[in-house]
Amino acid sequence: MIFKDGSRAALGCFLAVLTGLILLGSCGGSSSSSSGPPAQNNTASVTVGFGALGPSGGYVNGIWTTVTVCAPGSTTNCQTIDNVLVDTGSAGLRVLNSALTTIPASSLGAVTDSNGDQLEECVQYGDTSYTWGPIMLANVELAGETASSLPIQVIGGTSATVPSQCLSTPVLPGYGNDDTVQTLGANGILGVGAYGYPYDCGSFCTDPSDLTAAGYPYYVCPSGQACSAVETTTQAANPIVAFSSSDNNGVLITLPSVPATGAADGTISGSLIFGIGTQSDNAFASSVTVYGLDEYGNIPEATYNGVEYTSPNNTIILDTGSNAFYFLDASTLAPQGIIECADEPGFYCPASTIPFSVAVAGSASTSGTIAFSIANADTLFASGNAAINDLGGDGGTSPSTDNLDFGLPFFFGRTVYVGMAPGAFTGETTPPSAALSAAYGYYAF
Amino acid sequence: MRVTIWGLLLALTLGTVPAWAVLGQYESSVSVDQQYLVSKDSVQAFPSYKVHLLTTAKGTVVREYISPQGLVFGVAWQAPFMPNMQQLLGSYATNLQTATRAQTQVRHLRGLIVRTNDFVFSNSGHLRFWRGSAYVPSLVPNNVSVEVVR
Repeated sequence: MIFKDGSRAALGCFLAVLTGLILLGSCGGSSSSSSGPPAQNNTASVTVGFGALGPSGGYVNGIWTTVTVCAPGSTTNCQTIDNVLVDTGSAGLRVLNSALTTIPASSLGAVTDSNGDQLEECVQYGDTSYTWGPIMLANVELAGETASSLPIQVIGGTSATVPSQCLSTPVLPGYGNDDTVQTLGANGILGVGAYGYPYDCGSFCTDPSDLTAAGYPYYVCPSGQACSAVETTTQAANPIVAFSSSDNNGVLITLPSVPATGAADGTISGSLIFGIGTQSDNAFASSVTVYGLDEYGNIPEATYNGVEYTSPNNTIILDTGSNAFYFLDASTLAPQGIIECADEPGFYCPASTIPFSVAVAGSASTSGTIAFSIANADTLFASGNAAINDLGGDGGTSPSTDNLDFGLPFFFGRTVYVGMAPGAFTGETTPPSAALSAAYGYYAF
Repeated sequence: MRVTIWGLLLALTLGTVPAWAVLGQYESSVSVDQQYLVSKDSVQAFPSYKVHLLTTAKGTVVREYISPQGLVFGVAWQAPFMPNMQQLLGSYATNLQTATRAQTQVRHLRGLIVRTNDFVFSNSGHLRFWRGSAYVPSLVPNNVSVEVVR
């Protein structure tokens, strides 16, 4: 293996790549000791609003934080990047190449194979858009936490052509490549989800038999040749796996309540707290219920109006990267008074605000209720507010496949624990006892 | 096996048969998907339709729904990576590009719903889990609910 920054090779952890030598999870990144590390500032602030594109181009209910990206091993050769989306629906830090202005991507650590070819990644998303760019090593600072030599994706940081294997059908001409602020809607994505698996691909990307799969993410693109899929353990990962502290078994997301009429851009602030039960500010409250996830990363079961919805046919999630309650579909909810907006496809425009109550059940038969309301989206958007409580939309086209996607408004006015599975990676701090059976991670609230 | 070879031969030799399966095409096109996915194919018969269940060792599941006329009226998928829509939707994939804004719901990074006159598509999920389905209403057998396509 050859690395641009030779000193990084000594760290070893994520670097055994592209050789067929598989060492997934062998390094973890935690140096937690029984004597306990000194208290860290483990709280990053977040704001809710339109984000980098502002009211004219952004979308409502984005949740944004600031990350500091440094050259590997450096605490001074750094750049602060704001308007990074906090996303519980993905794993790994991805930043736009265009956002790296004071430290260019070339000052980050290259990840190359034995031929010196740079590792590239193409992540396809559910809207058929994608992020394409190299995996580079960086020291990433979040609040007082540091993830050393973390593989991150530099979106748009390559001149190689996107592999056809990673391209589904883009929706519209010019749409698809999320390599600008305009198309990504952000300067980056901070993926703190993938609760069972902190890596963005995991064992799928360490098995040669998977390389031909549609949507496969990792490639090398030798000069003058087409890109070819490669197996790798050097994967974009939830930064907590590489924290030097013990605050690495999950995150808490805390947001204040938002008035029914909404709140103006940037006026709602909250916290992204690292670690669960590792410090006094992230204690696991005895009052919360643990909802263990299934192997797909979904809540296993939900019941609404006497109808049972089950994963994986129905995707039941709490997702900060979704900006509304994407709940069932307008036809199914017509008896409750839900109608589609005439001019905002996919959003709900009921004549008056409608309350909903959904029973959810976790993997260990824990159960509880999610209550929310859906108001007229046209009216909500007309307010000009950027944080909106009662925004709802279609989660699909029929009950047998509908989503129950409880997006960012679900997180308003509460603390949600987003917990990693016990033993998800080497060095992980043991999760709270109530979550020890959550083999694929959990939400607790 | 004979069906598989026949399907491949058809695909290779006849210009009228698309290289990709499958929505709206004859049942034989399923085998192209099966080959592409390196998957097992098991068939389940129901009173008014049957289902090809294609599964891979690593959790990709594709279901293709066949009408009594032998046409694929619906497909559904669950996969750790986004599946190739061209492959699953065939000529219907163009609907994803030609649908009007009013027929399209884009959920940034998360999902896509397209409903045109004779094509219904939804896809969504999160990293490492995507699922979706598509069907052609005019090809769905009269006595079959679209709810079966999942």
